[in-house]
Amino acid sequence: MTMPKLSMTKDSRETLLYGILGIIAFLFVWQLACMYTNFGKIFPTPLVSIRAFFLAFVQPIGRYTLLSHIAISLRRVLVGYALSSVAGVIIGLLMGYSKMAYAIIYPIFCIIRPIPGIAWIPLAILWIGIGESTIYFIIFMGGFSQMVMNTMDGAQNLDTELVGVAKVLGAQENQIFSKIVLPSTIPYIFTGLQTSLSTSWMAVLAAEMITAREGAGWLILAGMQTGRIENNVIGMISIGAVGLVLASLLRNLERRLCRWSVRSR
Amino acid sequence: MVREKSINQETPMVRLENLSKTFHVDEGDVRVLDSINLDIKKNEFLVLFGAGQCGKTTLLKMIAGLESSKSGSISIEGKPLKGFDPKVGMVYQTTALFPWLTVMGNVEFGPKVRGVSKAERRKKAQYYIDLVGLNGFENHFPSMLSGGMCQRVGIARAYCNDPQIILMDEPFGHLDAQTRYMMEEEVEKIWAKEKRTVIFVTNNIEEALYLADRIIILSECPASIQKEYTIDLQRPRNMVSSEFLRLREEISTLVELREGV
Repeated sequence: MTMPKLSMTKDSRETLLYGILGIIAFLFVWQLACMYTNFGKIFPTPLVSIRAFFLAFVQPIGRYTLLSHIAISLRRVLVGYALSSVAGVIIGLLMGYSKMAYAIIYPIFCIIRPIPGIAWIPLAILWIGIGESTIYFIIFMGGFSQMVMNTMDGAQNLDTELVGVAKVLGAQENQIFSKIVLPSTIPYIFTGLQTSLSTSWMAVLAAEMITAREGAGWLILAGMQTGRIENNVIGMISIGAVGLVLASLLRNLERRLCRWSVRSR
Repeated sequence: MVREKSINQETPMVRLENLSKTFHVDEGDVRVLDSINLDIKKNEFLVLFGAGQCGKTTLLKMIAGLESSKSGSISIEGKPLKGFDPKVGMVYQTTALFPWLTVMGNVEFGPKVRGVSKAERRKKAQYYIDLVGLNGFENHFPSMLSGGMCQRVGIARAYCNDPQIILMDEPFGHLDAQTRYMMEEEVEKIWAKEKRTVIFVTNNIEEALYLADRIIILSECPASIQKEYTIDLQRPRNMVSSEFLRLREEISTLVELREGV
């Protein structure tokens, strides 16, 4: 064909069109609900909300503007998430690779694992007090077990034939770890990173609602407490948007690092 | 015999003495190898042929150092084998490529873990990638390649590590007939160009006759040496020559007879 290639195919244009229609329909139903039901007594209309959303970029809510609130939450998440990911990968690899480490850690881990991150809030406050460290701790506990589980799963699913292949080719024990165990676990680690990221993001909101005076979690609670529901809506929109951006950034990184794995292609 | 004498004059590349292997499983002991005695000459293309599922792969794994040999002994160039010997390389039935490494990454793996400099190992890997006909695919991942291509990578990977002995465990068992035939030709060409001692396991009579200097017929579980054929046909072999067909007939009758029992 001599025609220049369009950047979108017919299918993807249709998908986009339907997506936009869906959003318009959603906003329309929201508007109708505000106009004709009780919902409108407590809840702002879409137009008011969107206006408030853009205003929040320049007008502070509480002590900060919207972007600062988001930045604060983001920093908290990233610190807690980074700590839990590093610790989770190390412990997961250890448990997956060494039978002894597994025997020692697994029973304790089994008890800790089902406890949601937010269940640690009261203990953390008593123990560490109110402050950033408490929030980091809660986020850490939120993501940690998922990182451990996924990494351990990866290390346990190691293809032992490949270990043999590497040994026949002359690899030493320490090289087996860095050249076989670690790379073959990476897709599992990424699955852990994905799920742990969303629970970390949940954990920061919960922690902020209880122990902070700033951040996206505080924003939605303050919106309720002060009767400024638009602030609540703004907070929720930003939470959704940030969560989406974080998840897609991570997916891109995975696609780059795991080009070889069929899952990411 | 004259032939016996000439073998004894030089140290065999591989010598298997009274080699046996028993696996202990819950249901009891399974004996898979029974007192194998075998000398393999330098640069010989030896085919281990057996129809059963038993013993052949285990025998290769023992030479590769992947299985222990408690009963009997394996020596390589006169020295008893201990663990993994750098003189031994292996090509696997499942190809067993590292999926996270590119073709180049797979082929240069051996030299890399042995500490060969990047420039040197790249040059060498490139040579073997070209030799197996994969020029242009250096940066492809195994998941992007066909079965035949993957096995070419496996062969290049084994060669690139400079082994004196290459073990091939039914390398073309999973390939379709056409690809298999092409790969057999390829292996013979590579072997003619880069002489190594090859121990090749197969359950395909034509493949055995096409490739082998010598065919060892193994019996079924436990595997023991049943008969030995030295194949003196001119290479590359004509698969429809009367001699080829006669040997094929003879060996299949032998195997069928045994299976009929």
